[in-house]
Amino acid sequence: MSFEEISHTADVKIRARALTLNALFTDAFLALMQVMYGTDRNEGIIKEIRIESDNIESLLCDFLSEVLFIADVEGLVFSRADIAIYGLHLTAVLNGESFDPLRHSSGTEVKGISYSGLVIQKDANGYMLDILFDV
Amino acid sequence: MLDGVRQTGVNEWEVPVGYVPGMRVPGKFFLSESLASTLEPGAIQQLANVATMPGIIRHSLAMPDIHWGYGFPIGGVAAFSLDEGVISPGGVGFDINCGVRLLTTPLEKKDVSGRSDLIEELFRAVPTGVGGKSSLRMSSRNLDGMMIKGASWAVDAGYGTKRDLIRCEDGGYMKQADSHAVSAKAKQRGVPQGGTLGSGNHFLEMQVVSEIFDPCAAQVFGIRLGQICCMIHCGSRGLGHQVCTDHLKLLESATKKYHITLPDRQLACAPIMSPEGKDYFGAMAASANYAWANRQIITHSVRQVLAKMFRIDYEDMPLVYDVAHNVAKIEEHGVDGKRVKVCIHRKGATRAFGPESCELPDELKKIGQPVIIPGSMGTSSFVLRGTKTAMEKTFGSTCHGAGRIMSRTQAKKNLSGKEIMANLLKAGIIVRAHSDNAIADEAPEVYKPSDEVVKVVHDVGISRLVARLSPLGVIKG
Repeated sequence: MSFEEISHTADVKIRARALTLNALFTDAFLALMQVMYGTDRNEGIIKEIRIESDNIESLLCDFLSEVLFIADVEGLVFSRADIAIYGLHLTAVLNGESFDPLRHSSGTEVKGISYSGLVIQKDANGYMLDILFDV
Repeated sequence: MLDGVRQTGVNEWEVPVGYVPGMRVPGKFFLSESLASTLEPGAIQQLANVATMPGIIRHSLAMPDIHWGYGFPIGGVAAFSLDEGVISPGGVGFDINCGVRLLTTPLEKKDVSGRSDLIEELFRAVPTGVGGKSSLRMSSRNLDGMMIKGASWAVDAGYGTKRDLIRCEDGGYMKQADSHAVSAKAKQRGVPQGGTLGSGNHFLEMQVVSEIFDPCAAQVFGIRLGQICCMIHCGSRGLGHQVCTDHLKLLESATKKYHITLPDRQLACAPIMSPEGKDYFGAMAASANYAWANRQIITHSVRQVLAKMFRIDYEDMPLVYDVAHNVAKIEEHGVDGKRVKVCIHRKGATRAFGPESCELPDELKKIGQPVIIPGSMGTSSFVLRGTKTAMEKTFGSTCHGAGRIMSRTQAKKNLSGKEIMANLLKAGIIVRAHSDNAIADEAPEVYKPSDEVVKVVHDVGISRLVARLSPLGVIKG
């Protein structure tokens, strides 16, 4: 896990670095869960999702938006994702537990995943991501 | 002031065409010299980006609470021609019709001061925070009612009085709502969240009227010195968030289809009269109506708590007004000497219609509409009134709040929730939240001083001060 929160006035800006795209997407997913529900999150309930998009930035936004949707309507808090990306297709197996107000109320609700300032870059050291969550 | 920005008057600044490539009109914003140091280059870049959008009229505008957001800057206002212009979720935001309302009570400061039991009771009655779910049993028919008739549905369902609707912007609902343009996913999120406050900067605050600037307007609005009021700040919850997410994706395809070039993907848009533009507008209006119904349901819960605890009548807690902060609307404004219908976007800005506006109810026509500006937890909130100057300069718009100046990361580093709570308590303000983090995130220090922000809009004349409200107790998400 390698992500950090970068200073942003209104919202939550996350920067992540990873060797592979799968790991980069996993970092973004873990950052989203941590911002919303804090660090005390367990495994137990499995959900599988599949996403297809037009480009890699949309694939990430669509994936995280789907996670937000499932977490919200099913009352789930995820702690792990096994992600596989083939071209512009993504499969993710999410592992989590039911929302517990006593352990999961320390975070902030994320309203949406923004395209503003979204950057996914590849260089000699792997991949870099900047992404903004509207809170 | 930032390079490339020029002063055009007292508290008035221009971002000239050419600041970013493709600008069709200049940017214009309102800020005092003392607030100039809080201005971020990212916010001005976003203000200039909006000026590149097709059909924009006169200026890309920003109010003195301008700060760096996504798509439009927070505090951004832009009007678009119905023939050549576009509509964009980037000009409204994820929290559609995030807004604020103020209700008055017959209570005085001595009745509620230091009453932690009252704050605790409100915290129990109004679901807040991440994962907060409604205790209402909402059917899909009820959800349709919320989306089509907004606050009017809530009043018909027993959550308020007919008089409340006179004191809501647009009577508490936009008639262009189209619930068919709202996805099944958005509706699924909307059902369990009706009547919930949410988290982040949303709050419910008990306040006392501590200063009257304009006695005549205050009397018309129903506000008197020493009176206890309740301010409610929240929006359209997961339903609105999902509508924004869904339509952003649809409008991204439309941006390509209509050959629109944009400097930021978050500004994805479509011609207002295109099928994609109309669908977004209908879904956005449905979400705005859901938000009005939501605030109406919360109002009902507050009135029930106060009625029971203080033995006062439900009808003795009238609404001063309810305003939307994040919305797109079709309004008529003066453009080049003619009355023209435009599509106005307000992203973190408040409608501030002046006297004689035909949209206002008769009782407010002489004074102009009430404008409600929330402060932060420890600072004052304000009631202002709309003006003719706002109609001329800002398409009838003004600021919406204090505007953040400190990032959330910095806030958490500098401030502990417990210390802030203790300091506020010393100042006579009780705070109740689910977590310390939520308090540190929204501490008074992270915002511009609300006094200075409202002084700018008052001095520029785009709204005029009526009353100051000081906080006594607040519940946060």
